[in-house]
Amino acid sequence: MDNPLHPFELHPLVPLSLFGLDISINKAVLVMWIVVALVLILFIRARSSGSLIPTKLQSLAEMLVDFIRGIIEDTMGKDGMRYFPLISALFLFILFCNLVGLIPGSYTVTSQLVVTGVFAVSVYALSVIIGFSVHGAKFLGVLVPPGTPGWLIPLMIPIELISQLARPISLAVRLFANMTAGHVILGVLFGLTIAGGVLIGWLPFAFTVALYALELGIAFIQAYIFTVLTCVYMGDAIHPH
Amino acid sequence: MAPSQDPLFAGLGQAIRVGTDLLAALIVGGFLGWLIDTYVFDSAPWAMVIGLFLGLGAGIRNAYRTAQRWKT
Repeated sequence: MDNPLHPFELHPLVPLSLFGLDISINKAVLVMWIVVALVLILFIRARSSGSLIPTKLQSLAEMLVDFIRGIIEDTMGKDGMRYFPLISALFLFILFCNLVGLIPGSYTVTSQLVVTGVFAVSVYALSVIIGFSVHGAKFLGVLVPPGTPGWLIPLMIPIELISQLARPISLAVRLFANMTAGHVILGVLFGLTIAGGVLIGWLPFAFTVALYALELGIAFIQAYIFTVLTCVYMGDAIHPH
Repeated sequence: MAPSQDPLFAGLGQAIRVGTDLLAALIVGGFLGWLIDTYVFDSAPWAMVIGLFLGLGAGIRNAYRTAQRWKT
């Protein structure tokens, strides 16, 4: 049986290097381009119909936009709509990466810690930059929660510092681990199906089908959580406490 | 009702959040302690032990803060 981690290995398709940096094009890069193209095509096609009675594609696009707007207004309030382009791009990219990754033979870009890590760190860095640009040095006050008694401050500052530093890590690891684990389980179960043959193979195959449905839900929920947390962190930066 | 307000969906999202929040803070605390042990004070393993406890506190604090946002 194949190693279930085998599908996560990347090999350069087009070896490229720029000033000694390895920028080879591999399957993950290819899938990312496909994802960007899919999102663009969906929204351009949906926009071009633009009728009062929405077509199927248009109502899908409207549903997605409405969903993202709901998330932003719930977590950041009305003034969070400034960040709508960023948040929607993030949500749609992660959602489509997760969904495209479920097509057999494709590649789950979000199962690479590099990808999720870059997203998480840049989102977190942006929230810190927003915090300092809106509140100046007073933003350091997030390290001391309001109502902390004086003698607790030396204990609360390291705790708050750790909980701040944990944010990008939990953001990156959550998405990466959920996607990787789901695909490993699917891989193992499908391996069992093939190993089991006709006599017993139907049992793991039934589980594969059931888990595939679960993974569809997970793909959506993970994109949703990543977006919600992005909004929460940015909202915290705009209105601390 | 917007799907983001769907109680089942939002509840599932929050449940997945809390678990990783607890764990990530613990990892960060332990790692920071280990860094101090190895590169600053040569005090192994005490800074890591303190870091793990602080991380545990930070994780619980994170989960508590998440729970405060829950609308009943």
